[in-house]
Amino acid sequence: MDRTGQYWNPFIETLPREKLIKIELKLFRVLLQWAKENSPFYRRKLHGIDPQDIRSLEDIAKVPMTEKEELRMAQEGKEPFPYGELLAVPLEHLSEFHQTSGTTGKPVYIPDTYESWQWLVEVWCYILYAAGFRRSDRVFIPFGYNVYISFWQGHYAAEKMGCEVVPGGALDTKGRLLKMKEVKATALMNTPTYGLHMVEVAKEIGLDTKRDLNIKKIICAGEPMPEPTRLRLEEEWGADVYNHIGGTEPGGWAGMCSEKKGMHVIEPYFLLEMVDLETMSKPVPSGVRGVAVITSLCRRCVPLIRFNLKDIMMVLDDPCPCGRTSIRVDQVEGRVDDLRKIRGIFFSPNIVEEVVRGGFPEVVEFETILTREGVMPVLTLRLELDPSIGENQGKWIQDRLQEQLKIKTNLTFKIERVKPGGLPRYTLKSSRFKDLTK
Amino acid sequence: MEYDLKAIHLEIKAIEERVIRLKEMGSGVETIERNANAILSFIYILKKNISDIIEIAD
Repeated sequence: MDRTGQYWNPFIETLPREKLIKIELKLFRVLLQWAKENSPFYRRKLHGIDPQDIRSLEDIAKVPMTEKEELRMAQEGKEPFPYGELLAVPLEHLSEFHQTSGTTGKPVYIPDTYESWQWLVEVWCYILYAAGFRRSDRVFIPFGYNVYISFWQGHYAAEKMGCEVVPGGALDTKGRLLKMKEVKATALMNTPTYGLHMVEVAKEIGLDTKRDLNIKKIICAGEPMPEPTRLRLEEEWGADVYNHIGGTEPGGWAGMCSEKKGMHVIEPYFLLEMVDLETMSKPVPSGVRGVAVITSLCRRCVPLIRFNLKDIMMVLDDPCPCGRTSIRVDQVEGRVDDLRKIRGIFFSPNIVEEVVRGGFPEVVEFETILTREGVMPVLTLRLELDPSIGENQGKWIQDRLQEQLKIKTNLTFKIERVKPGGLPRYTLKSSRFKDLTK
Repeated sequence: MEYDLKAIHLEIKAIEERVIRLKEMGSGVETIERNANAILSFIYILKKNISDIIEIAD
């Protein structure tokens, strides 16, 4: 059966694994050599490492990992401003500026040359094509175009694929919904949180996202999307919803295919390793939860070698019925930075979202707060329910939630109800976990 | 449909050589240099997408 039309690149995407790995190792050696010659940061970091010694996946562990804090240090006060010692091309070759959100500290500035930007866009073409985006789509992008990379890659990739791109930047949510309706947009790109927020606003203005709009597919980015959230978005929009993983430093690097069972790593252009949660150094096999470490193998202007993403996930290496031979990862289960040991139990705030989105459609917004009472840590879930929910039903929902959270986490939560509109709304990265014990 | 990847790879190489020549011929002329550079960026992508497969087989 000719399945050529199912893939952006049928040759690479169905290549036998041993050949993919062979290409990855070759690209890894080339990248190491490039980084040693052109990046002052890696010249120092890779001192004593001969790229030609990397002959197997096991050999890659000889190369030190890169931590986000090192990227910050390599920029802070270093020339050329603002990229410092990370830059591996002359400053005048740059054509794009982006920066990290600074959620975990000072932002890191990541530039691109025309070539490296086109490369990132190409990777997103793989991602969008796997998610069913085609040239017949009219893609609406409700994104405040700004310094964050977010959907910039998606915008240019959709354009490159031949889709018609409708930028929904300067409109408010109501304006965006009305524009989507007006132009009969067929596809969307948004964060999961904003996808749900649009549903809420649509209801307020008498629009039914499933019935009144024409959206058939949505690709989400920007924050982890637990499976119950994805399913809820599918239900609310009446559309196929796909997950994708990326970040400012590596760009997009994995995306869901039509099977919707995990996300395919865009091999052989990214090399993914998984290391253990405790030491973040020992490799863990497929099917075991670990911390993701990524190497972006083809972006030359700011090399990124064995970058510790600090995202917790698991590799799935069983064959995917879609025919792609790349490995897949399941959903991001949380971040190492957010992981807390509470009363001897590892707690990841993402579990709260899984529970809330999994069975409580009446919850409009929520946040989890960690505080202390004396020496005892206390978890509080603050809830904003649909305004139509009465006192008794609200109490019933609170009790059920408390019960489900106890089952899922083995921890007891205090539940607090917040008045409608009392919790923040997010268009980009949501921040629903606040640790006030620090 | 059958594809001759080796022939595609050779075509990519030939285009790359011609664009490099074009860039040299138009050296100092912004419109030639910048557009030739843009083409070379896409050649880089094609090489990653196609030529790498051929090169590991060699």
